[in-house]
Amino acid sequence: MINRALAPELQTIKHIDFLKPRVFDVSQNVHLYWNENVLNDTSRVDLYFDAGTILGTIGVASFVNGLLLSGTKEHTSIEINESIDALGGFFESGVSNENAVISVYALKENMLPVLRIIRDAIHGASFPEHEVEELLIDRKQKFLVNMEKVNFLAQRAFQQRLFSESIYGRVSDVKDLDSISRQEIVAFHDEYYLNGLSKMVVVGDIGQDAVDQIIDLFGDWSHAHQPTFEKNIQNLRGTAHVVKDDAVQSAIRVGRMLFNKTHPDYLDFNILNTILGDYFGSRLMSNIREDKGYTYGIGTMMAELHASGYFLIATEVGKDVREATLVEIQKEIEILQNELVPEDELELVKNYLLGQLLKSADGPYSMTDLYLSVEPYNMDMDFYNKTIESINGITAERIQLLAKKYLNWSDMTIVSAG
Amino acid sequence: MIHFERFTLPNGLTVLFHKDVTTPLAVINTLYDVGARDESEEKTGFAHLFEHLMFGGSVNIPDFDAPLQLAGGESNAFTSNDITNYYNVLPAANIDTALWLESDRMLSLAFTPKSLEVQRNVVIEEFKQRYLNQPYGDVWLELRPLAFHTHPYKWCTIGKEISHIEEATMEDVKAFFGAHYHPANAILCIAGNFELEEIREKVTKWFGDIPEKLKPARILPAEPEQTEFREKIIERNVPTDAFYYAFKMAERRSDGYYFSDILSDCLGRDKSSRLYIALKKEQKLVSEIGAYISGDLDNGLLIISGKLNPGVTFDMLDKALWEALDELKKSPMEESELNRLMIKIRTAREFQEQGLLNRAMNLCYFELLGDANGINEEHLIYQAIQPAHLQESAIHLFRKENCSLLKVKSMTND
Repeated sequence: MINRALAPELQTIKHIDFLKPRVFDVSQNVHLYWNENVLNDTSRVDLYFDAGTILGTIGVASFVNGLLLSGTKEHTSIEINESIDALGGFFESGVSNENAVISVYALKENMLPVLRIIRDAIHGASFPEHEVEELLIDRKQKFLVNMEKVNFLAQRAFQQRLFSESIYGRVSDVKDLDSISRQEIVAFHDEYYLNGLSKMVVVGDIGQDAVDQIIDLFGDWSHAHQPTFEKNIQNLRGTAHVVKDDAVQSAIRVGRMLFNKTHPDYLDFNILNTILGDYFGSRLMSNIREDKGYTYGIGTMMAELHASGYFLIATEVGKDVREATLVEIQKEIEILQNELVPEDELELVKNYLLGQLLKSADGPYSMTDLYLSVEPYNMDMDFYNKTIESINGITAERIQLLAKKYLNWSDMTIVSAG
Repeated sequence: MIHFERFTLPNGLTVLFHKDVTTPLAVINTLYDVGARDESEEKTGFAHLFEHLMFGGSVNIPDFDAPLQLAGGESNAFTSNDITNYYNVLPAANIDTALWLESDRMLSLAFTPKSLEVQRNVVIEEFKQRYLNQPYGDVWLELRPLAFHTHPYKWCTIGKEISHIEEATMEDVKAFFGAHYHPANAILCIAGNFELEEIREKVTKWFGDIPEKLKPARILPAEPEQTEFREKIIERNVPTDAFYYAFKMAERRSDGYYFSDILSDCLGRDKSSRLYIALKKEQKLVSEIGAYISGDLDNGLLIISGKLNPGVTFDMLDKALWEALDELKKSPMEESELNRLMIKIRTAREFQEQGLLNRAMNLCYFELLGDANGINEEHLIYQAIQPAHLQESAIHLFRKENCSLLKVKSMTND
């Protein structure tokens, strides 16, 4: 008979092999990163552009991003999409505040032909009138739908107050979409796509020759220099509420400007972040979901910008328990400031974080993404060895110190909607 | 090709083992052959509520998540109308921890009143968050009873109404566990860099002494053939009119299932699909449109849904949509179009098979369908499909009397 009350013995992760992708120069300050260790026929190519929402007039960045495959003088958008689909290609494009990323997924034998179509489509984009109009209608509809979601309302108000005076705090409205001019679209496309390529990533066993061809295909879009990014953004402290009468839940956002991976406290703070709200057994989940049943989920995160970063707590709760939830969040933070984290909890979080790191390094796609998350800060895979050191060396005293230093309620931007 | 080995324990547990020498992780995936379709109509949402309770401690272990996290792992689960699937991912060296936890909760749960009380609240908040507090969030709550009158697919996994969850009792919970949570009703898949013998020994050690029970017989009320067009209009505080055309389609284990899958891709998967081109790009009737299948084990639904452009009426949309559907019935698809759909399916599958967890889940699912090796044979089914099959299938599917239409009318739009 086995003794089921007794947990099996555990092994702790001591070491993880972090493999850096191969680096190729595209131009003086643009590189291509290649991870060829893919065992099946899949491949992915990412193109990064300086085409984020902090650039250009309001709304234009996201609008141009939506029009990249909208047609050229030679081909309609329908023809372009048909030819990509005929090769089994998947095209994704997205915009964040600091850049725009295009990701292309295809079987490796089809990757180059797909990329050629995409290169021609973006290079020759002529922004046909009817396509611009169509996107305008779509975006307006999506915006109106989003305005019905408490999550969106809270996030939007949070972003305005977190980034306050900075360009990052700019949020677009329906009327902004109407005022985007054709000249602005053309100029933005020319400046930040055709002259705004900042990096390329290839994952897949596509061969050196194909990598060279990718460099040839897109190399002439390389940007001449890195854009500059705002530092020292200050969040607007205090509370704000967005009313939405018919809501049955309220969305809550609590956070503050903080730092990114370059800061000496980053790694240790990330452990504190995990304890507070970044795993299923976190303090906030245990209290607000598993003890009180106020929510389906609550979480914290550290978000990073090029020259700064921020910390965020997010949840959606029953409308009647909104205030009670804020009280409990504040209480949990104060406990971390006033009491040492018990040894067994710290041990659990350390092991959990090591396990998660192992998982983040599993497989070529994940391994490449690990690299991409440190590359913008001119750091290397050694960052992850330092992560292991930080996890192994963390103490309850250090956690408490960081909670006192960075998690004061009076420093927070607090927003709710609903 | 996804390799696997299969063995069965004397108590009826089916075990699959998938070896992957490249990963430092282990996946332990457990599929229970129980879903919302196995609930009684007066107590819906139960399979899903139960999934939450499976994390509330088992007979010998007070907490499920903490020991797994201590082992560097994590866990989650999902419930559908057909199945409940639990998975653990952790460093391979600590696989015993996951087997210990997973086997103990198959043996018996702790059944604490606190867990039931809290998870009832959590699920009610989930109900609000996903179904009530989102624009168009309640569409499936409306569409299911419109399309299904008899079969339990007429209610959602989350449940028909919040009161069913509020009223769940501990007796219900225990009865549900007794009926559905035991070795004969489960398929376990272990994936990672192990040897078969090692896995056989470990699984036998942890799961071997769980008592055997009979697999419950499933007798579901069959949905009678639909003979009339059904339509329902609901008015909601949403910015745009939306439409959901639901066509009854074939069950998972039939060829017709695959025909419907391809037809839905053809109509509305990508930006080169027929409805996207005709209704959005050419006729400018909709801002978005898509087609997909519900993926159910029993006879399910092929759905065409989207949102109308300002100034467009439901009637205009209806006329154009049926014209596009009639095209599929009138003439067989060109080879080039079929090839385009096939290469997308193949590409998507290759990407899906990249992930260890996906492989383990899919092996369990195909085993439930009858044979885990189905995962390696599915592409042959696709390859054999000819334009004539699709035409025939379209003629059968896209009939007015096989359609249930839900219209969501915007109250702010008048």
